[in-house]
Parts: sequence; C-alpha cells; structure tokens
Amino acid sequence: MDIRRMMILSLFVAIASILHIVESWFPLPFPIPGVKLGLANVVSILAIAFYGWREALLVALLRVMIGSLFGGTVLGPSFAMSMGGALISTAVMAYIYQYHRSIFSIVGISIIGAVFHNSAQIIIAALLVVSTGLLWYLPYLILFAVLTGAGTGFTAAYLLLKIPRDCL
Amino acid sequence: MSKAKVNGLKILTKADICLIGLLVVIAVGGIGLGMNRLASSGSGALTAQISVGGTIKQTVPLREGYRQEIQLKNGDHYNVIEIVNGKIHIRQADCPDQLCVRSGWIGIATQQIVCLPNRVVIKIVAAENDLDDIAR
Ligand SMILES: [Zn+2]
Repeated sequence: MDIRRMMILSLFVAIASILHIVESWFPLPFPIPGVKLGLANVVSILAIAFYGWREALLVALLRVMIGSLFGGTVLGPSFAMSMGGALISTAVMAYIYQYHRSIFSIVGISIIGAVFHNSAQIIIAALLVVSTGLLWYLPYLILFAVLTGAGTGFTAAYLLLKIPRDCL
Repeated sequence: MSKAKVNGLKILTKADICLIGLLVVIAVGGIGLGMNRLASSGSGALTAQISVGGTIKQTVPLREGYRQEIQLKNGDHYNVIEIVNGKIHIRQADCPDQLCVRSGWIGIATQQIVCLPNRVVIKIVAAENDLDDIAR
C-alpha cells in the first residue's frame, strides 16, 4: 500500500469516525439504545468506489473502533450493533457495486446498505436481550433507511463526481 | 459511475425506484401489522413484564394508585425500577450508557424500555381480555 493511498484511507477513517461520533449525539426516537442512522456509510461508498471492498471494510472497522472509543462505548452492546451494522452494510454494498452496478445506481446501493445497516443493528439488539419484541421496530427502521440511504447515496454520488480521480 | 448525472432524480435507475417502492410497501405493511397487533392486544388491564436475558422475572400491574419499587439484580448489575400510577421507568442503573434511565416513563401497551448492557427489557402488555377472569 503506497503512502498516498494510506493517507487518503486515513482521511476516510477520520471523516467516517467524526460522522459516527456526531450521529451518536442525536439518539433516534426508539426505545432501542444505540441505534444509529449510518451517515458514515457515505465514506464506505467512496472507499468501495475508489479502492475496493477490502479497503472499505478496513475503513468501516477502524471507524467503528475509533468512533466507539471517543463515544466511550467500546465493547458494549452499542459497539456490537455499530460494528455488525457497519461491516454487513459495507460488504453488501461492495458486492452490489461489484456485480450489479448496471442495475442499481449509487443511491440504490446506498439504500440497500442502509437497510442492512439498520436491520443488523436491531437484530443484534434483539439477540442481546433475547427479545423478539424489538423486531416490531424493524419496519420503522426500514422506512428510516430509505430516507437516510437516499441522503447518503446522493451525497456520495455528488462527491464521486466532484472529487478528481488524479488526487487519489 | 463517472458518467452518471447527479442533477436531481435523473441518477435513479428503474431498479432503484422499484426498490424504494418495495421497501416503502414492506415498511408500511409492517407498521400496519404492528398497529393491528396493538389494537387487538386487548383492552384489559395493563401490566409491565420485566425480563432479563429473555426470561420474565416479574410482572407488575399498572394502575392508578399502585406504587412499587423493584431492585432488579442480575449478577453484579442492577436496575432500580419504579412504578407509579400506571407508569413505569428505570430510576437508576449501573449500566455505562444510562440510556435506559434517560428513556423516561412509559405507560402505553407495547411500549418498551431496553437496557442493553444489563440485558433488561421492560414491556407493557395488555391483558388478553377480562372475560377469562370473570369466567373464573
Ligand atoms: Zn441501562
């Protein structure tokens, strides 16, 4: 991994960590503590498009670790939820970007990522407290995912168009 | 991707729009199902089920004039639960995030308070029907 690539990826990790921390300041109106919208998925999409799935997963992994470190939730339940959500959504988005890019746009890929992100979080929370009752919040989170996924998708699409390739 | 137009909705493909439509239908259907469950959950008296790690530890009535304080112990961890006049909340807990305490009071069927670190779930349920009690 050359120096330039390493620096850009570090920058990605930094931006994603900040988004992760900022969104933890705004808890969602759900009784499930620690559910996040997944704004940092913007960075996952950029990492997938510019580098590939390995780099994107690495960025997602590091951002959850750093974000949780600053949020003071390392190895707690919300850490497990964030980590599961981040890795699963990044993996799914990377897969679709790789094999089905002609069908879905960046916005569609982002929405799918957001759905997996939110579903994974709630399923992990339900497993932690052994309560299937939490799954009744899943439809609300899917609705949220369409909105935030579209938001992060349009942002990522715009950035992909504006960031000059030769600076990477 | 570099050729994609980012002006407005032109970027969206047919599959994107189908996907969004499908997800909205699933979500609205699920929400409707949840509401239906809430509506058919009975008009009986409300009770709060307190469970730790999936097993119900205690069931308390939620009605006017009823007060109770529960010291819920789970290994080294504790949650102090307070029930006053048909509402319930976690007053104190030793969990690091304190999100359960900040959840505040609940008192409507299907509302929940969750303490993930201590694996505690408080769920409000309406009794199926009062007919059973009368029959007995
Ligand atoms: Zn708690």
